[in-house]
Amino acid sequence: MRCCDVEKLWDDMRDALQPHRDAVIKHLRACPPCQELYEQYEGIAYCLTCLPPPQPPATLVPKIIEHIRSAVKATVPDSVAKIDSPLGLLFVAFRETGITYVALNRDEGDEAAFQRIKARLGRSVVPSTAPAWVNETLTAFFRTHVSRLDRVDISDLTPFEQATLRATAKIPAGEVRSYGWVAAAMGQPNAARAVGGVMARNPVPLLYPCHRVVDSTGRLHNYEYGLDVKARILELEGCRSYKR
Amino acid sequence: MSALAPILGDYRLSAPAMMPQPVRPTKGVPGPENFEVIVDDYQRRLYGFALRMTGNREDAEEIVQDSFVRAYRALAKMDPQQRAELRLQPWLYTITLNVTRNRLRSKRPTNVALDSLADPDALLNETQEGPDQPEAIVDRAADMVLVEQALLQLPMHLRAAATLRFVEGRSHPEIAEILNQPIGTVKSHVHRAVRILRRILGPQVGRIVASENSTIEEED
Repeated sequence: MRCCDVEKLWDDMRDALQPHRDAVIKHLRACPPCQELYEQYEGIAYCLTCLPPPQPPATLVPKIIEHIRSAVKATVPDSVAKIDSPLGLLFVAFRETGITYVALNRDEGDEAAFQRIKARLGRSVVPSTAPAWVNETLTAFFRTHVSRLDRVDISDLTPFEQATLRATAKIPAGEVRSYGWVAAAMGQPNAARAVGGVMARNPVPLLYPCHRVVDSTGRLHNYEYGLDVKARILELEGCRSYKR
Repeated sequence: MSALAPILGDYRLSAPAMMPQPVRPTKGVPGPENFEVIVDDYQRRLYGFALRMTGNREDAEEIVQDSFVRAYRALAKMDPQQRAELRLQPWLYTITLNVTRNRLRSKRPTNVALDSLADPDALLNETQEGPDQPEAIVDRAADMVLVEQALLQLPMHLRAAATLRFVEGRSHPEIAEILNQPIGTVKSHVHRAVRILRRILGPQVGRIVASENSTIEEED
């Protein structure tokens, strides 16, 4: 066996199945230059195998899972169902985790409604029929004016937006509160304007009752679907204490 | 007599026992439903690989996160037969290597070799039970930093080959699969990597191995 042939076989010997193993060893024992090169080779290999296995931080697994969760959320579309209600047709978007969007009918056609919801959610939507839990959630709201908030998913929103919507959920049906009241209920009494901003982009109106929030003089102030609709909802809830 | 003579004598280093053991294979066919188990099984290994490749802990963490997201998405798109036929471990290495390449390509290479990786605390913990004197422990940590930095000086394709071969303990056919290269190319890359490392580390290799080797003999 020649020196150049032996050199090519060194690394194979780590796999223990090397058929030329004995021949290589025999050559190395008899050939000091090859022996020296082999020792250096094995020395390097040995240094590399001695590198301590790095310890990943304990936070790595939770970070990976969270990463996957948000990536999946971005790719799995929401379902959108049309549901009849006392306010007319509703477009309700939902996924496994809860209802993500409620849109009142603007008479713009289904396709335009789907496009609007898609743009607001920032991910694709697929038309669907409403499963029982979605139907029940809406039916119960119109019957009792109380929302099953465990069936509403607002986890896409910022912490401030989520806190604002949760504060509105404390307003009893049939009553109204001011933007300042909501801000104070969140422990941020100076945030009334920011509260107004959140109300304007509430993705789940009705279920998170932004319609119960009015200005400090009791006027309806504003509503995504118009003041008539806001008044209508409040009347359905038996509220008379607002001003037009 | 050279420092390596005892090694040559019985080919201790060629013994398969010196190679890192493969991780326990994830039970069942891999898919989104058991992905948390896959993450748990492979995160250490892929993190280690990414860290050896980049020399930077933050990069390694982000690479592993991105790699698992890619793997998840790809698995979700596969049909049951593709999943059943998937060789998970090499596949995960391939994904991690691709993410690493993309990331290193967009970074200045000079950032890489300057970071010191060896965590002296970890090394201390690891060697506490041995008979080493404190100076020896510090020496060993310093030696490991030298080896790590030498590895980071290799061109990326050689670094990948050497890391998979020696640090990760993969076989030639497996590395060929991971790198999508013929086995001959893998062997020649491994060989070239060792030659360059030999040039970088030079005479220090003998000293590192001699000190390691004395520990091994005491264990016998």
